[in-house]
This record gives sequence, C-alpha cells and structure tokens, in this order.
Amino acid sequence: MNRFGPALRAIDWTGWLGAAIVATILLAAIFAPLVAPYDPVALSIEDRLSAPDAAHWLGTDQAGRDVFSRIVFGARASLAVGIGAVLIGALLGVSAGLFAAYEGGLGEQIVMRIVDGIAAIPLLVWAIAIVGILGVGPLPLGPFLLPNEVKIVILVGCLFSPVFARVTYAVAKRVVGADYVKARYLQGASHWQIVTGDILPNCLSPVIVQATLLVAIGIVIEASISFVGLGVQPPQPSWGSMLSDARNAIYSGEWWLPVFPGLAISITVIGFNLLGDAVRELFDPRSEARTLVA
Amino acid sequence: MTGPILALRNLTKSFPQGGAFDRLLGRGSRFVALDDVSLDIQRGDVVGIVGESGSGKSTLASLAVGLAKPTSGEVLLDGEPLSRLMRNHAGPWRRRIQMVFQDSSSALNPRKTIGRCLTETLALRGVERGAREAEAIALLELVGLGPEMAPRLPHELSGGQRQRVGLARALAMKPDILIADEPVSSLDVSLQAQVINLLSRLTRELGLTLLFISHDLALVRTLCTRIIVMRKGQIVEQGPCLDVLEHPSHPYTRLLISAVPKGIAGRRTPASPDMPAREPARSANAG
Amino acid sequence: MSAPLLSVEGLRVGFRAADGGMVEAVRGVDFAIAPGEAVGIVGESGSGKSLSMLAVMRLLGPPARATGGRVLFDGEDLLAADEARMRALRGRDIAMVFQDPQSSLNPALTIGRQITDVVRAHRQVSRSEARRIAAEALERVGIPAAATRLGAYPHEFSGGMRQRALIAMAVACRPRLLIADEPTTALDVTVQAQIVDLIAELRRDLGIAVIFISHNLQLVSEIVDRVVVMYGGKVVEDGPVADIELRARHPYTRLLRSCVPSLSGPVGPLVAIEGAPPRLGRMPPGCPFSPRCPQAVETCAAEMPALLREGRRSLACWRPQ
Repeated sequence: MNRFGPALRAIDWTGWLGAAIVATILLAAIFAPLVAPYDPVALSIEDRLSAPDAAHWLGTDQAGRDVFSRIVFGARASLAVGIGAVLIGALLGVSAGLFAAYEGGLGEQIVMRIVDGIAAIPLLVWAIAIVGILGVGPLPLGPFLLPNEVKIVILVGCLFSPVFARVTYAVAKRVVGADYVKARYLQGASHWQIVTGDILPNCLSPVIVQATLLVAIGIVIEASISFVGLGVQPPQPSWGSMLSDARNAIYSGEWWLPVFPGLAISITVIGFNLLGDAVRELFDPRSEARTLVA
Repeated sequence: MTGPILALRNLTKSFPQGGAFDRLLGRGSRFVALDDVSLDIQRGDVVGIVGESGSGKSTLASLAVGLAKPTSGEVLLDGEPLSRLMRNHAGPWRRRIQMVFQDSSSALNPRKTIGRCLTETLALRGVERGAREAEAIALLELVGLGPEMAPRLPHELSGGQRQRVGLARALAMKPDILIADEPVSSLDVSLQAQVINLLSRLTRELGLTLLFISHDLALVRTLCTRIIVMRKGQIVEQGPCLDVLEHPSHPYTRLLISAVPKGIAGRRTPASPDMPAREPARSANAG
Repeated sequence: MSAPLLSVEGLRVGFRAADGGMVEAVRGVDFAIAPGEAVGIVGESGSGKSLSMLAVMRLLGPPARATGGRVLFDGEDLLAADEARMRALRGRDIAMVFQDPQSSLNPALTIGRQITDVVRAHRQVSRSEARRIAAEALERVGIPAAATRLGAYPHEFSGGMRQRALIAMAVACRPRLLIADEPTTALDVTVQAQIVDLIAELRRDLGIAVIFISHNLQLVSEIVDRVVVMYGGKVVEDGPVADIELRARHPYTRLLRSCVPSLSGPVGPLVAIEGAPPRLGRMPPGCPFSPRCPQAVETCAAEMPALLREGRRSLACWRPQ
C-alpha cells in the first residue's frame, strides 16, 4: 500500500512502541506453551510464595504456580475477550449503523434509539449484571452449550456494538448523501452493491481506530469480570482472577502477586491505546501527517 | 414525431418545516420547494434551467431522475410514469436518464480508481466482462482524457478532470437524457470553458437531450437553445434562449440579467476618463 | 504619486512539506496600493492570492508561513511587527472580510455583541456608545431598522445579510484598508451584485482603500481602479482596470477575459485555456503559465520573466501581446 508510505514515516515512536507491545503480547499468547517455562496450572506446594528469582522470574503464587507462566497463558483469555468482543461488536454495530444511515426514516429511528438505550448504561455495569444473572456455568443455547468464556465474549461484543453503531452511523450518514452514491443508485446498482461497495469502504477508517481502542477496554472488562469471580474459572489463569487472588498478598508482603498481573493489564492497555492513536493518524486525511501528501 | 421524451406534470415537492415538537402537534408548516411545475422536454432539446438557491431547480432535477419522490404530480419518461417504472429499480429504463453532479470532489468514490468506476458502471449496463476495459478507455477518450487516468484515484486528478470522469460515467450508461446540475460551478473559470465546450460537442454528436441547471446566464446562453427561469419553486419565464435573454418579460429575469458581472461596461464610476458610466439599476431591486 | 498605504515587496509564502522541505506557494509578489485606492487581485485557485493576503494580515498558520519579503503598511514592516502590534492593527487599521459569512460569525452571540466587541477592543468607548456605533455601521451597510437588529443571532439573517453584517463589523472602526477575500463567492448572483455595489459605496463614502480578491475579472472590474493578475504564485500583470480589460498584454490575462462568456455578442464555442493550473511544488522553472500558453517559446519554459514596470502598468512576460 504505497499510499501509506509517507504517513507510515510520519508515525512517531509512540505509535511504533504501541505496535511492538501489541505484537509481543499477541505472539506470547499464541505461542504460550513455547514461551511459558512452566505449566500454568501445575501445583507445587514446596515452591509456594517464592519471590522472583532465577527459577521463577516473577515468583510463584499461594499454590506454587509460576506467575510468569500464568500471565503468559492469562494473555489468551484477555486477548480472546478483547479481540473476540471487538469483532462481534464491529459486526453487529457496523451492520446496524449502516442500516440506520442507509434506510433512514422509521428504521433509522428505531435502531438508533435502541443503540442509545444500551449505551446509556455503563459497559462494566451491564457486563457484571448480566453475567451475574446468567451465572458462570455453561449456557445452553439450542443444541449448543456455550462455555462461560464464549458467553462473555458474546456479551461484551453486544455491549460494544452501540459504540460501533454510532461511529459507523455518523460517517455513513454523510457518505449516503455523497453524489457518488446517488450516481450508483441512478445506474440501477442494488442496495447491497451500494452499501458494501461504496458506503462501507468509506466508513472503515474510524471503525478500525475505534476497534483498536476498544480492545483495550475489552481487556479491562474481562479482568474486572474475572476479578469478581464471574469470568475465567479456576484453575485456568486470567489476569483479573490473578489480581483477585492476590488481594490478601497486598498485606502480607508478596508484592509480586498483584504487581505483575496489574502491570500486564496496564502495559497491554497502553499498547493498544498507542496503536489506536497511530492508526487514527494513519487513516485521518486531516491529520498533519497527511496534509501535504496529496 | 412522438410526444415529449421527458414531461413533468403538476410536479410539487414540499418538506415539513419547524421543530419536531411543532410537527407532533400538527403546527408545523410545509416548505414548498417545487410548486405545481409542468414542463415538456422534446427529444434533442438543450434546456437551461436558471435560478438562485431556493428556486427549486435542483429539486426539479432530483425528481426528474427519481432520486426523490414528488409530493404530488408525475414525471413521465416517454409517456410512462416514473413512479411505475421505479418499481423495477434496475430496469432497462434506468440507463436512459443520467446525471452529472455539481461538486467534483463528492461525485467520485474516493477509494475507487477511475477505471473501476467506469467498468462497474458498464457492468450494470450489461457490457460483458472482457469488453469493459476497452470501452472504459474509449469513454475516457471521448471526454478528452488519456488511458493513463484509469489506474488513478480521484484525489490524484484536478477538478476539471474529475468532472470529465463524472461525465464519462454518465455517458457509460448510454443515456438519452442527461441532467447536469451546476456541472462547472465548482471549477476555476479557465477550466469551465473546457467542460462547457465538451458538453456542447457531446450533446450534438450523441444526440443527447440535455437539462443544464445553472445560475450562470452567460453559460446557459452559450450552451442551450431553450431557457427556463425559476424562482421560489415556480417557472417564471421560459422560451427560446436568445429571445428570453434579449427581451426578458419577467422582472426577475431582468434582475438576473442585470446581476451578471459585466466588467468595466458595468461600472457606475468611470474606469478612465474616456469610459462612460453605467446607469445605476439593480440596487433598487434588492430582495 | 503619493506614498503607498500598503506596499508588498518580494513576498514569499511556503508550506512545510511532509518530507521536511519547503514548497513555495507565493513566489515573490510585488504590488502597492495607494490610500483610498481600490485594487482587484484576480487569479484562480492556487494562484496564491488568498495566501498573500493572509500573510499581509499575519494570519498564516502552520504549516504555511511567510518565508521572505516585506509588507509595508504606512512604512511599517508587518512581517517584523510583534503580535500585540498586529492585534492593534487588525480590525482598527486593516480589516478583512472572508468568503463564507456562515463560518465567520459566532453563531452563539448576537450580531450586535459581535460588532460592539470589535469596537470596544479598539476604542475607549462606553457600552452604549459602542452599540450606537454598531447600529450606525449596520445602517450604513444597508440593513433596515438596524438598531432593532442588534439583538438578532446570525441564523436569523440570510446569507447576504450575514455578509453585510460582517462588512459592518469590518468598517465599524473606520479602517484605512479593507481586504475582501472572495466576499461574494458563496452568495447568489443577485445578492453578489448588491454586495459588490455596497463595497464600492463604502469605499466612496468612507475613503477606505479596498483590496478585492476574486477569480472573476468581470466582477472586480466593475468597482476597482487597478487589477493585479496572479498566476502560479506570481504577479503576471498589473495595471489600470481599463488597460487590463481592453488592452491586456499578458496572454493569460487575455484568455482569462475571453474564456468567460458574456450576455452579448455571437454564440459559439468558448475560448478555452487548455491544460490545468500548475500544482503546488510542481511549478515549471520558467513562466508558470508557459505550459498552457499558446504564445510560449523556449525561453518562456526555461526562464521566469521579471515583472517590469512601464508607466502605470507592470508585466511579466517574454512575449507580450
């Protein structure tokens, strides 16, 4: 994509730092069995609560499990919820936003008012309330049994969809009025052709920017749900449940138990935010990086 | 000779006005953009529609091509009501009436190359896959652009070039009627003449029926055989172009004519001692 | 000839490009305007006419900046003046009216408030005195029942009325120079004619010098004394309006005049200027118009002709007509 060439050069070091963080964590999560030195769920009573040393880089927890290995495997839950929820949210939200903007009239009003309704309650409150009501067990859905993790991904995805719907709607509303869309209509192009071929591609940049930023929020939501015990169930590791387990350690001096999962969450969130800002720069034709390229 | 190729019958378009609350209480009034307009366009006519903002000339254009539905009245394409034809959205009637837009920066999809924009259009007309590329190049040539334009994106073109591509895209449908809504008003003066000359030549060579919508009387005079003057949603005067411009009968037509910049011939204070000054005429009609 | 009110000498404006280099958009512009004179600056988009005026007002923002030359207002170099001095000059001695009356007014404040703010910024007057001045200014620009309109908000005015209000704001402090940048482009033709007449009238009554920027030669010719024609960031011709209209010597000026059709004379194909204006950063080394000029010879493309003064006219062309 040579048209991004000059803009890529204009991305500053914070953008590259964000990309590097995200890439490292993604690779660590995908190749967790190769990266983690220990089995994240293997108990080892004799090693319990050992401070960081050469054998256990980030120490061990109350059950003697390696904290570093648990963080590496915990990244899977965090990223799965973050990325999975964003994909589901984008699919639902972008479709709803496109429909509302293109359809207009009553359909537009109904869709956008539903979106407003969902968006009126803070994400985290929704998430915890609904998981709390449904419980942590698998949810039967027709012939399928949804494990708790999948349930959470779908739930957070649904909660993300209003954000995507609004972003898409705002841009699509403008694109729908553009003369090139009218021209396609006058040529007899089908609604599907117009929406997917002309409107959607011109709405994607803000959606992608939003997606990068929402991954970070998804990670925080997963951590929060797991922290209150409604998310990833023991003994499987998750950053949120590791923090929750470490609550008592704050007073008894095992500082490595809360600090490292906390750092993992913070660094990942910062990484996605930095990446999101860089992507915004890349796509926004008004940003300084691109002003003089055209 | 058969009837008019395009006919407007008592065409009216109005929009609700006022806030949502007023409308809910039934207190809102309606803004009438087009008020009971009837018009016959004959095959091969080159008609100029002039007026200022709010005259209804652009509303007329969007009703005539079916981009908007009239509040009442009917558009007839070769005697057939558009409302009935439009039940078949992609019917063969579609290609017959096409439009060239005002704003060259919004007329083309910024993410599609010029070539793709044209081949896509040709596909909708039913041109076979293998023949599309050659025909797209031929269309570019028709509007005075080279084949090297095909792989470019709209932002790499100048405003005048984009407007030519917009014209090529309309012509790709092989239309009988072309509606051009202020096609040169976003262009620099030195480029306007190029596009107007092109439009004039193609109209003649392809036997098009042209509706040229403009606020520029001098351009209409250059291009059109017939002129329609609109104001506040109504036709106030129409007739052969040169006749109307030389002997306007409606005061609004006279006001429009007096408002055309005339260079030093239009001065009220002499430009130099040997130049006569013009009579003050137009300020009295301020409206 | 008396000392000029404003004298622009060798003005250059550049943009910082993405690769760090500078791209020049205004490439050495010279012209002067006498007290009370009306000058039209004519050129197409990209000719550098608006940028030059923003540079004069010191209103250029990054990535554009003035990179050379002098702007002498009453003998004082504005490019060297500090910001406090510029704030005092702007609005009081030099006022500017922009193309889009919609975005030049604050929609949240009444028209009266916006005019009195300008008045009180420059003159030590009481609030009621400022309102009286504002009402008088609105009256002068032809807004009927001006005193009762001071409480109106911009959205209650039509486009033409808004432009009148902006002009009232500009002349409320009786500036010595009014710069109008395409003040009628966003307006309907009949309103355009009224605004042009208004500017001519204000100039006559108040003795304000006027710079009228437009792409339309016919339009400015109706009210100015002198026309400066710009192309590709340079002045190509400058002279009394009658000379420019009837006896233009630069091929561009001639074509510019004849490519706009008139309401009289024979009907036929328009005279077109082939090609397109040069793009920023891709200026030819010689005369910027040479690639499109029907008269061009080798020298034209290779070397930029100097702007040479001859009596009251100036011309930059190797092959004048």
